[in-house]
Amino acid sequence: MEKKEISFRINGEEVVLHVSPNRTLLEMIREDLKLTGTKEGCGIGDCGACTVLLDGVPVNSCLVLAVEADKKEILTIEGLKENDKLHPVQESFIENTALQCGFCTPGMIMSSYALLKRNKAPNEEEIREAIAGNLCRCTGYVKIIEAVKKASSSIGGK
Amino acid sequence: MIFYRRLPKFDYVKPASEAELFKVISDGRKAHVYAGGTDLLPKLKKRLLPPPDVLIDLKGISDFNYVRIFDGKLRIGPTATIYSVYTSSDVVKHFPILSQAARSIAAFQIQNRGTIAGNICNAVPSADSAPALLVLQANLTLKSREGERDVRIEDFFLGPTRTVLRDGEILREIEIPLLDSESLGLYTKLSVRGRMDLAIVGVATLILKRDGKVKDVRIGLGAVAPIPFRAKKAEEILKDGKITEASINEAAKMAASESSPIDDHRASKEYRLLMVETLVRRSLKKLLGV
Amino acid sequence: MEEIFIGDFEFLGKGIPRVDAKDKVTGQAKYAADIEIPGMLWCKILRSPLPHAKILNIDITRAKRVIGVKAIITGKDFQGFRWGWMPATRDEPPLADDKVRYYGEGVAAVAAVDEDTAEEALELIKVDYEELPGVFDPEEALKEGAPVIHEYRPNNISWEFHMDFGDVEKGFSEADLVREDRFATGRVIQGFLEPCSAIAYWEGGGVTIWAAKQSPYFLYRHIAQCFKLPLNKVRVIQPFVGGGFGGTKNDSVAGDFCVVMLSKITGRPVKFIYTMEEVMISARRRHNAIIYNKMGMKKDGTITAMQSKLIADGGAYTAIGPLTMYLTGCISTLPYKLPNFKHDAYRVFTNNPVSAAMRGHGVTHTRFAAEIQMEMMAEELGLDPIEVRLKNAIEAPHETVNKVTVLSCGLKEGLLKLKESNLWKEREKEKRKNHILIGVGVSGTAYLGGARQRGHQAAAAVLRLCEDGSIEYLTGATDAGQGSDTVLLQIIAEELGVPPEQIDIQRVDSAYTPVDPGTYGSRVTALAGEAAMKAARDLKRQLAEIAAKEWNVKPEDIVFKNGKVFVKDNEEKGLPFRKMAQIACYSGSGRVLVGRGHSEYGIEPLDFEKGIGNAGTSYSFTSQLTRVEVDAETGFVKCTDMMIAHDCGKPLNPAIVESQNQGAAVQGLGQAIYEEFKMDKGKTLNPNFADYKIPTALDVPNIEVIHILTEDPNVPYGAKEASEGAIVSSPPSVVSAIHDATGIWFKELPVTPEKIALALREKGRGS
Repeated sequence: MEKKEISFRINGEEVVLHVSPNRTLLEMIREDLKLTGTKEGCGIGDCGACTVLLDGVPVNSCLVLAVEADKKEILTIEGLKENDKLHPVQESFIENTALQCGFCTPGMIMSSYALLKRNKAPNEEEIREAIAGNLCRCTGYVKIIEAVKKASSSIGGK
Repeated sequence: MIFYRRLPKFDYVKPASEAELFKVISDGRKAHVYAGGTDLLPKLKKRLLPPPDVLIDLKGISDFNYVRIFDGKLRIGPTATIYSVYTSSDVVKHFPILSQAARSIAAFQIQNRGTIAGNICNAVPSADSAPALLVLQANLTLKSREGERDVRIEDFFLGPTRTVLRDGEILREIEIPLLDSESLGLYTKLSVRGRMDLAIVGVATLILKRDGKVKDVRIGLGAVAPIPFRAKKAEEILKDGKITEASINEAAKMAASESSPIDDHRASKEYRLLMVETLVRRSLKKLLGV
Repeated sequence: MEEIFIGDFEFLGKGIPRVDAKDKVTGQAKYAADIEIPGMLWCKILRSPLPHAKILNIDITRAKRVIGVKAIITGKDFQGFRWGWMPATRDEPPLADDKVRYYGEGVAAVAAVDEDTAEEALELIKVDYEELPGVFDPEEALKEGAPVIHEYRPNNISWEFHMDFGDVEKGFSEADLVREDRFATGRVIQGFLEPCSAIAYWEGGGVTIWAAKQSPYFLYRHIAQCFKLPLNKVRVIQPFVGGGFGGTKNDSVAGDFCVVMLSKITGRPVKFIYTMEEVMISARRRHNAIIYNKMGMKKDGTITAMQSKLIADGGAYTAIGPLTMYLTGCISTLPYKLPNFKHDAYRVFTNNPVSAAMRGHGVTHTRFAAEIQMEMMAEELGLDPIEVRLKNAIEAPHETVNKVTVLSCGLKEGLLKLKESNLWKEREKEKRKNHILIGVGVSGTAYLGGARQRGHQAAAAVLRLCEDGSIEYLTGATDAGQGSDTVLLQIIAEELGVPPEQIDIQRVDSAYTPVDPGTYGSRVTALAGEAAMKAARDLKRQLAEIAAKEWNVKPEDIVFKNGKVFVKDNEEKGLPFRKMAQIACYSGSGRVLVGRGHSEYGIEPLDFEKGIGNAGTSYSFTSQLTRVEVDAETGFVKCTDMMIAHDCGKPLNPAIVESQNQGAAVQGLGQAIYEEFKMDKGKTLNPNFADYKIPTALDVPNIEVIHILTEDPNVPYGAKEASEGAIVSSPPSVVSAIHDATGIWFKELPVTPEKIALALREKGRGS
């Protein structure tokens, strides 16, 4: 099993790595790049804790091979803030108490961020659908949905 | 018993062209072809499949990624994602039932990676795109180093997770003939939660009209037999415009009798049969305005 | 920001943002699996494919030869060590040694340079089993001739608990209606998103372990016992925890013991991370139980007596089972007046995975049965569901027949609020929309807060004052997500008059933080809160003495408020807190100012055997409305609304309390209609989130939380427990709503679409 050289951009930074074919994108992000913000929940695509943006769209990184990152752009939770300034979605989650244990939070925020990028003023149904693939056991989702609504208005939606 | 967290070891190739693909696919190594990987990777992780020597990633072949109307047919390439199919303006305009079905699969993260081609090649009886493709009478082009062959969707499935695909063969294209009449379609997925579930029962109903009169009724069923199938006897009852509440009820009952669901931990046979009848009846009534 | 007036406070009653929110939304918060130590090895566990079997032989020779494998252990390496919740019930080995008792029990563990190698090595370990007949149903396990799972319990009864108060026979004879029904609760699991994980490093004759635990001090004691280490050589460090909900993360798991052992052998740090499937198959879950409930009611709705018999599937080992059984009865005498009560609970061994605690604990089973039965009887007598509850609801102060003393109770106010709501008032307006049946249901419950178990129960706090006025707060209490870190800082901030940002929380590290009984039974705000409050007052006293000398007044006249320290009624005679801190620290040749405090609840005797007395410091009261839309043909249930009127005394942080209630209600909804492990002779058929269906964002209703404020003297600032009430009140409320929609009483959880559809058909009520 030969390692492959890949080069990609992650959170705005160029990276070159050698990875084994059987390494997942999630393992590479967490273990090779030490970006542990992205979490492994179920490892098989049922919970969304590992959600990152791959070329701008949300995917379960546990189901993407690391080699597939080649020539692509990845955005993880660590890449959302600019210097010390949090993204409006992150601020909104804090202000609206949209988290408890925080384990689902990075994935939840990435899905929310991706939603607001493609839909500036989502209604409640659209928000629920956008995070349907992100399981949360602590909050019951109510405050998460509120946080996304409020973030959308602060970003300049309706 | 081992609970694996890591994928087994395998090699990886990403051919840049069809020619390269067919060279690699039959070079003697045990190979798995994949596009989205959302069905394959979990299976490999859980060791439900013997680990292959090599995974062949189809996404390097840019010619494989398309959803477009060409030559009187909607054509879907092997690496077109579920999301691209459900949002394609051509699909939404001409085959809304397929858009509906694709949209009901899992959630965005899976839809951005998984493919319609993969959904049917994986061939679980509950595959959501299958009933819709059946009623749309899709044609599948299978291709290998030896050449191409056409298979009708209704002849594609052999059993749970088994299809007519041979070793070294891939699903090259899904073709759906444009309908020459006004059509109305509905895909209904019965599940326990609002999302993320496999269908307990999947019902695709398509009504074709000409001059305002019903010309054809097609019913596709998923998750209630070893393979997704057309309930032809039920369709027979509604042929030639014999549409009444009574005939709809009869057709719904017949669709159930054509089904052969199993008892499993998701649902019982009894419930599935009742639901086939219920959902077929409802969708027919809704589409036929009865 | 949400605010509720609970008194003249600067920080309490305010929904200030969580103190850990920034770390969590930026991905900076480190959980156990995120921790990496140079030289670390990976541990994987080999698990039994049989539910009940003797282990004849384990051959590790081929596995040992794999390059990169550093050590392999089996059950025998633990030399007969057994752990358990009580000395009398220490029946569980870290890895099975004589026989395996459940499918998936660990039998061997490998430490290797990476996880791939460890998995490869496991494949080469050969275990010879002699399969034994297994038993998978508790009522079967009680029969003569059933396979015996533990020799010390030849009748398979893991634990029994009996209560007998008043005279139930007399009570039934006084009733106009007596009902006997059989109820069943399903197999559900906590469902935390973070799998179990720990990393252990044995060095210097002791061990440091970072572990995903909501009660790290259980692990602390287990390791000391298992490895015969003095406690000062066991260092347990709690990283951020990704959800607990009781049970697994309040106990130790095989992986914990294995990584310590493997680190001891190899001298290197060793890490394990379970897969979610591994958690679902092998970790603790809620008990599932059969409840035979009998109730007597007068024509006017007064409950005269209740008798319950509960048979719980305990699974293969005892764990915390005795406490579970106790909780199935000890507050069944709440929230309604109950003069006569008899209860018999049996926890039975089976070859299923181990049942333990889960949010709501033993109360969830019997409260479900009692609530539904009460409604069935009210229906028979033609009484309104809210009225019958109002009729029987206790009022504070109240002492139950088993001497549970309630000093504050907002149940009636809560029920009245629900009664006035549009959700309730308009429930008859629309009962059917085509094939959709609509229903609204109600339920009520009490739950204990500040729970205590046996033995050491005190929480403690240490506050170190830094010379610049910043403060270090050392606590042994864990925030598994419920928000206690924030609330505890709010308490200290309020006492010292400084903003929470000025206080840094030092989370559990047993080398530095005080021992704490743990995060369970809704006790952290109550008991760690009391400790924090006292530590703050202790620190204040020391500062006040110094200030008093400065200004020539009595220490009692010094006030700490708005970041200042000043003389009462004379604010000009004062200094900023930071300046005062500096003066104090530099007084004389320099001083060390440390505030200490500990909780002192629970000194009176609790009769654990008979169920007499208070198992907690106080009791919350929750009443809940649920509205559902049921598809009459498919049985599909859409839960549209929930309204929760909860009395937690005073919500110190209303935003957190609200979120907790919402989460608990959704967890309860999951239990009521979606979640269930399907078992086949001990094997779990659906150990994944696709088929074990926890609610998604598309499934959850609108949830309104109404705070009912009451005054309880037993808890700091009047804060009782919040949200375990809501997980208990949800399932009966949902099931009651389904009955209102369909006319059918479902007595077994979960109430799935299939059950509803088939029952409606049988009743001839499908469309």
